[in-house]
Amino acid sequence: MSLPHPLLYPLASAAQLAQTPCRADGIPAWLEEDLRAEGCRLIQSAGILLGAPQVVMATAQVLFQRFWYVTSMREFSVSQIAMGALYLASKLEEHIARMRDIINIFDLLLSRLRYSLAHPTAPPESFKYSPMSYYSNEYYTYKDELVIAEMQLLKRLAFNVQVQLPYNTMVNYLNVLGLGRVEGIAQKAWGFLNDALQTPAYAVYPFPTIACAAIHLAAREASVCLPEPPEHEPWWELFDADLEDMEQVCGWVLRLYRRQDEEERELVQNLLLGGRREVRQWLDEVEPKAST
Amino acid sequence: MSAPSQAESSTSARKRSKWDTFDSDEPSPRRVKIKRPRRSPTSRSPLPSSTNTPAAALRPSSVSLPASPLRHPGAASDPSRSRYVPRRPAYPPITPCRSVYAYERLNHIEEGSYGVVFRARDKETGEIVALKKLKLDQEKGGFPITSLREVMALMTCRHEHVVPIREIVVGDTLTQIFIVMDFIEHDLKTLLTVMPSPFLQSEIKTLLHQLLSAVAHCHANWVLHRDLKTSNLLMNNRGQIKVADFGLARTFGDPLGKMTELVVTLWYRAPEILLGAKTYSTAIDLWSVGCIFGELLLNEPVFQAKGEIEMLSMISKLLGPPTEDSWPGYLDLPLAKTISFPAKTSSLRARFPYVTETGIDLLGRLLMYDPERRITAEEAMQHPYFSESPLPKHPDLFSSFPSIAAGEKRVKVRSPSAPQRVANYQMEFDFGV
Repeated sequence: MSLPHPLLYPLASAAQLAQTPCRADGIPAWLEEDLRAEGCRLIQSAGILLGAPQVVMATAQVLFQRFWYVTSMREFSVSQIAMGALYLASKLEEHIARMRDIINIFDLLLSRLRYSLAHPTAPPESFKYSPMSYYSNEYYTYKDELVIAEMQLLKRLAFNVQVQLPYNTMVNYLNVLGLGRVEGIAQKAWGFLNDALQTPAYAVYPFPTIACAAIHLAAREASVCLPEPPEHEPWWELFDADLEDMEQVCGWVLRLYRRQDEEERELVQNLLLGGRREVRQWLDEVEPKAST
Repeated sequence: MSAPSQAESSTSARKRSKWDTFDSDEPSPRRVKIKRPRRSPTSRSPLPSSTNTPAAALRPSSVSLPASPLRHPGAASDPSRSRYVPRRPAYPPITPCRSVYAYERLNHIEEGSYGVVFRARDKETGEIVALKKLKLDQEKGGFPITSLREVMALMTCRHEHVVPIREIVVGDTLTQIFIVMDFIEHDLKTLLTVMPSPFLQSEIKTLLHQLLSAVAHCHANWVLHRDLKTSNLLMNNRGQIKVADFGLARTFGDPLGKMTELVVTLWYRAPEILLGAKTYSTAIDLWSVGCIFGELLLNEPVFQAKGEIEMLSMISKLLGPPTEDSWPGYLDLPLAKTISFPAKTSSLRARFPYVTETGIDLLGRLLMYDPERRITAEEAMQHPYFSESPLPKHPDLFSSFPSIAAGEKRVKVRSPSAPQRVANYQMEFDFGV
């Protein structure tokens, strides 16, 4: 058949990786990665509050990650696209969420973040959320943003919003490797797959590579030896993965666990709350410094 | 394997030399184009493994498998690769929608309930395509889920006999979205009414087999079409039908979830939906296929009912009433007790007198009351009807017709014709008028 294989979902090309729109606008790589991760955590928390199944959040995070390979954060706000991605994913996975629910949840999460930034020493329980009123302007602003974000996601991804998740594949791989019943490994690897959603991995590598990377990390952590060179043929070759690719994925995942610099985290959260306006302002402040 | 698919594969097979031992089912490498900007490897590229691989290995293994081992020694590791896991560069890059201005608008084809369809020309390649404009006027819930399902179904169900989706393009504002598909000359409904003579048995077999293969493919990809009917089947001048209009399609799961009962055009609607079943599955599409099969044989729709009650009584007139035996548990369906079925026996044979026994058998299995026992698309493709004489006609041997959608008029040849034996008996009495 001359038809393209349906499994060929889009992945960022080498050129798109080398220069993302954000970096072209002057946003440093570490900041882009942190903002992506922060946006993904926002999607995940919102999805949990929404009561959506994990597949919805996973799909949303993959779409969100893809989006930043064709758009700069100077142009669209991270939280707006996160909201749109969750809404779109809820439709794609036939678990349709109400717009109002999504908007209320995002408003709650963002308000809480705003509060904790303004009162860094206050205990989290001291935050009181006052919901917006039913017909408030605030709601309609959010709604417009949500509709635009969803449409922009579809348009800029050219409606290629199909997502192939590696979870079931990874379980099969574990069984092939005889690790299916080894204490803790499956659970750990599954967790790494979840965490990898916060990294660009799913928008860059085919799903078998990500599954192998998660197994690689889990096996290391559980001190399980898998057949590797120089004594053996590398196990990942069985699953058509390349070591360099896996290591890149592992690197991204492990970066999430590092101790974040306090100042950096504050900047990331401020940019998340302020959206594109804040990003532009920050870029204008930083740019002259960078050029000198 | 049954006859039509063999016939189709022979088209590509006959172009090969006879000592070419490759299985004819395998894809030939020259037909696949992978558009992908390739860059020269740079040392700071974040993807060392892919940029350093020789060009040959960059193609998906499924494609280069048959011919590559000799030609590309660099791809020696490829035969061990799963064909479902192509190398990274085989995947398309993330690209935004193109603009609708890449196409030149020609004429208006039709206006369906989900949007307007135009014929258009690709300005770059000159190819004729169909542009379907989605109706998005002031949707309350953002992008309409039905349109999203339609696009996703078309993208996941790519098949020889499903209308090929090329891309999605956008107009100036966010509300202008067009699906770009291949332009297909006819729809089967119009064709059946304007054709000078009905389809032959051999032609019906080919068409039905093509339809079944498309339906089987959709079901294998967890997509229900939910609106199969002759006006949604397009046909080109090369004897191929393409299933179109996935406006009601959606994915289904196992276990089945609750889905709307407002599906399928009435004349093609399966009895379980008419009786208000809470869940339904692939069998509803097969019922529609049965109705289409009957329509091809009769040259008119089988059940032309005005309402749901009439529809049920027409079904029972044709098939006899459902019984606990023929459809276990049908009495538990919400509307089953409120309806009485007039007929006592089946009149299938009498309604279709010119079909062979196996043909009637297949029709009966498609129009089976019990959705559990209704034949699946996969099974129907293996039915003996397709291997008995007359065999399905090769698609290349179908005659072609002027396309109404393309604005072509039928040219009537005004010349006296030789006396005809039967057919137009009116002629003999039609002297004065």
